[in-house]
Amino acid sequence: MTIKKLHMGSCGIVALAVASATPAFASGTTAGSSITNTASISYSVGGVSQPSVNSNTDSFVVDRKVNLTVAEVGSATTVVAPGQTGAYTTFTLQNTSNAVLDFALTSAQTAGGTAAHGGTDNFDVTGVTIYSDTNSNGVYDAGTDTAVTYIDELAADATVTLFVVGNVPSGRATGDVSNVRLTATGREGGTGGSMGAALVQTTGANTAAMDTVFADGAGVSDAARDAAHSDDDDYTVATATLTVSKSSSVVSDPINSTTNPKAIPGAVISYCIQVANASGGAAATSVSVSDIVPANMTYVASSIRLNGTVTGGVCNADGVAGGSFSSGTVSGTIATVAAGDTRTLVFQATIN
Amino acid sequence: MKRMISIAFALSLASALPGVAQAQSANAVAIDSNVMVERTTTDTAGRSQTMLEEPRVVVPGDKLVFVLNYRNNGVRPATDFVVTNPLPQAVAFDGTSDADTSVSVDGGRNWGQLATLTIRNADGTNRPARAEDVTHIRWAFQQPIPAGRAGRLMFRGVVR
Repeated sequence: MTIKKLHMGSCGIVALAVASATPAFASGTTAGSSITNTASISYSVGGVSQPSVNSNTDSFVVDRKVNLTVAEVGSATTVVAPGQTGAYTTFTLQNTSNAVLDFALTSAQTAGGTAAHGGTDNFDVTGVTIYSDTNSNGVYDAGTDTAVTYIDELAADATVTLFVVGNVPSGRATGDVSNVRLTATGREGGTGGSMGAALVQTTGANTAAMDTVFADGAGVSDAARDAAHSDDDDYTVATATLTVSKSSSVVSDPINSTTNPKAIPGAVISYCIQVANASGGAAATSVSVSDIVPANMTYVASSIRLNGTVTGGVCNADGVAGGSFSSGTVSGTIATVAAGDTRTLVFQATIN
Repeated sequence: MKRMISIAFALSLASALPGVAQAQSANAVAIDSNVMVERTTTDTAGRSQTMLEEPRVVVPGDKLVFVLNYRNNGVRPATDFVVTNPLPQAVAFDGTSDADTSVSVDGGRNWGQLATLTIRNADGTNRPARAEDVTHIRWAFQQPIPAGRAGRLMFRGVVR
């Protein structure tokens, strides 16, 4: 290592520290490492350069700053259907301490109150379990991600993705909200395979050795500087609410044909079954519709049209052929009825 | 050489230069290094007070004050007097109000005012050096230090 001459012709300086590689962490210098300072003087006397002089070595230990962040991921509720199993909300846990720590995990259901993404909590999911995103894909994979009660040996600055997984009771209505809360609490690290002891903040007289300082902020349900942090996420139920109505119109009769047809024997009647899904919920899929052809009427072969639309409550003459007729019953399946949409099954029959 | 000065628990920056103990030493000049932690506390009346404490509880982000006391113990003036302080790895430079200082951002190869120094990026381009890039700080005195003269140098750092 060479030093440029000063403008005043100083001699070289011997006390240059050789830089060793110390990884720079956002969470800071690793706890327990020493900060050592030494200064040096170079000088001349009578124009003669003298041996340089080093100062004492001032050294102290960087203490352990315990900090962590639990955060819900996605800024949106998890939309679930009644009876859904394995419904999950996603959180991250970041160790922003300057030391390796374990983290105890607990989940809780809140009762009432405003949920994480609005709405009021009015039900609990069941069988709540916390899973770690073992394969780090950000998505809960049943059978792959492992259930956890603590995170072992999380390095400084490291982040782990966690899922709170539960089952949605059947019978919940659209707009029902369940709020879940994840709390992580720092524990002693250093020993893999088991959860470390509770952290103890150094109080009273400080020591020259590594002390422990809690530096975390307050979460949704924990105080600042308690080595814990918490956040909420929620489930919102969206289900399909279907209503069915049936209408009929005379298409033609043998006398008037299609001009002002009357419901006389031999007339062709069009039946329209409307399936409406309430707005604000979820789409209904594989909606099966069946209707018994009235007595004294004969089904017109291959007249079923599925997935037609409605305008102003009146069935349109659209839709695609499909469905089946068997034993006096017309049936067909509408693939999807979106929330707020109405789809139809239309068939024709003649009056005997 | 090993010498200690007493460390006032709340060392006032404005106090007179503390004497560096006269050492029976082969060296005609002496220097002593002290690191203090700067803490700002707010009392119940809402007044904030900044104290310098011994570095007992130190966590990343804490502000440090490095105090160097030098003295010419010899009988002749010391010329070409240069004090160099390599920054500890875990400390980011946070400025100094002393005159005649220059810094290095490359381990002491090149020196200058921070604004004139550059850091080479991985892609070969240069960017202006920042305070946290500083690896060394140096005081080069223009005037000789007379025999018996003592002084204090100071700079600030932040625990990374």
